[in-house]
Amino acid sequence: MDIARLKSSFARIAMHGDEVPLHFYADLFLKHPETRPLFPVSMQAQRAHLVEALVTIVSAVDDVHDLTAFLRDLGRGHRKFGALAEHYGAVGDSLLATFAYFCGEAWDAELEADWRGAYELIASVMTGAAREDEERHPAWWAATVIAQERLAYDVTQLTVRTEPRLEYLPGQSVAIETPARPRLWRYYSMANAPRPDATLDFHIRLIDGGAVSMALTAGTVVGAELRLGPPAGALTLDAGSGRDVLMVAGSTGLAPLKAMLEQLATLAKPPRAHLFFGSRTADGLYDLTVLEKLAAENSWLTVVPVVSSGGPGPGRTGPLPDVVSEYASWSGHDVYLAGPTGMVRDSAARLAADGVPVVQIHVEDFGWSEP
Amino acid sequence: MTSDAWYDEQRRLTPDRVQSAVFPLTRWGRHGYEEEPVRAFLAEVQAEMVRLINERASLWQEVQRLRRRVLGKENGNDAILFGKDDAHVHAVRILSSAQRTADRYVADAQAYSGRLTEEARARRDEIMGQAQHHADLMLEEARTRAREAAVAVIDDARVAPQTDQERRAVQAELAYLRTFSEVYRQHLKIYTEDVLRTIEDWESKERAAVRDTPGGA
Repeated sequence: MDIARLKSSFARIAMHGDEVPLHFYADLFLKHPETRPLFPVSMQAQRAHLVEALVTIVSAVDDVHDLTAFLRDLGRGHRKFGALAEHYGAVGDSLLATFAYFCGEAWDAELEADWRGAYELIASVMTGAAREDEERHPAWWAATVIAQERLAYDVTQLTVRTEPRLEYLPGQSVAIETPARPRLWRYYSMANAPRPDATLDFHIRLIDGGAVSMALTAGTVVGAELRLGPPAGALTLDAGSGRDVLMVAGSTGLAPLKAMLEQLATLAKPPRAHLFFGSRTADGLYDLTVLEKLAAENSWLTVVPVVSSGGPGPGRTGPLPDVVSEYASWSGHDVYLAGPTGMVRDSAARLAADGVPVVQIHVEDFGWSEP
Repeated sequence: MTSDAWYDEQRRLTPDRVQSAVFPLTRWGRHGYEEEPVRAFLAEVQAEMVRLINERASLWQEVQRLRRRVLGKENGNDAILFGKDDAHVHAVRILSSAQRTADRYVADAQAYSGRLTEEARARRDEIMGQAQHHADLMLEEARTRAREAAVAVIDDARVAPQTDQERRAVQAELAYLRTFSEVYRQHLKIYTEDVLRTIEDWESKERAAVRDTPGGA
């Protein structure tokens, strides 16, 4: 297999931008119309995902270990979308037809054989991981909404019960699909530690123009059936470290940290823990009474509400990274950060600059910015 | 294309290189371009390059098709207008363009819904701000009035010198609280009624709007 040639032909194909995935999906749907219902109405984000995955695969092709881990995740992750082993052949054919189309005269039998060989390898790793996963987990969990509570004017808590029970670690998240927006999956963190009754809380923040958050907050009633993907995410408690804990939450970044606090409360000797809960305005500090109650019941926990932009509010005022940094020295702490992109990035940078070792900083980026 | 030409092709400026171009920053005190407009322009150049590359590719396909047609004619076979592959490529193009249209509709709808919630958020902040301001004013007025009432009680007590000082203080406190509570409650009632009226007004307007929408129920 001539890897340099595969890479250079891919670079040439990639020059055509969005036309490439557009051609690929049209080719696939024409040859195999039964695959169309596996995708959402708008394919815009889907095309970007495909190109991103292809770029990752092609650039990691020399590092078999990393590539295998990526492909195994990809294979497992595709189960919830309804991808079956027999779909992989159809995808391979359309991918090769697309590459041939955009390579033009440069496409020859040798290049085709190389690409086919590469694709078969990729597909076999992905389907292998999916098959192993099948023995352990369902492709997705059926979840029934059993309670709905408005925590702030733009944050709703959904409580669901899953069938079968979903095993996860506090701090992890799952992708959620609502029947109101079929084939659109969005990640949300569980806001509680695992309970005996297998119920899960999610904090859903209404995002302006967000298709799924809108459907989950405004369009979901008790009794609604959702689908949950397998638990994911590496923001989990390093319980054996012996270090004290600093948590910084922005907006609904509170959810995973609240789950971890519940986990800390079950320990025989919980570490000292500080939770800074930040929001732009005072009324964005939802769930504060519950947190304060938790702090009153547990002497090892201190909760500090922070309002970033002016106006009177409970707790402290100022940019979250500044308030945290000026409060104490955190270099001996395990740090857990969750929330909007800017807040997580700035807080992590500030704490690292203050001398917190990077290995002690754990983050969950919620991927949106606070209005 | 020969293999040399192929590798030469790789060294040309590509949209990818334009997109990922990084320029060193100027040192303080020296003149340099602002980063944002440069990035925006590069994004434009990159998009234009992709467009040109795709136009060139489809022209190349067209040349190939016409070449086959001419060759077919020379061979006395003028029925070859489109080969089997051409038909498929045409179908792919039609489906692609339909998909793009669908994507645009969804994106427009989402942008519209985003604008609506953004406006609602701004309106809510405004109303909450006004309410807070109003409440502050009411509180201040109630305090002033109560203070006046308390002073009046003390003045009354001076007229009747037989009561001791402690008792006067308690009476003054009571009068303050009573008046404060009365004034505040009265204001609150008026304000709440006002807010409820406004909400009812909005609701009836909204119902009317829904009724007027074709297909609305």
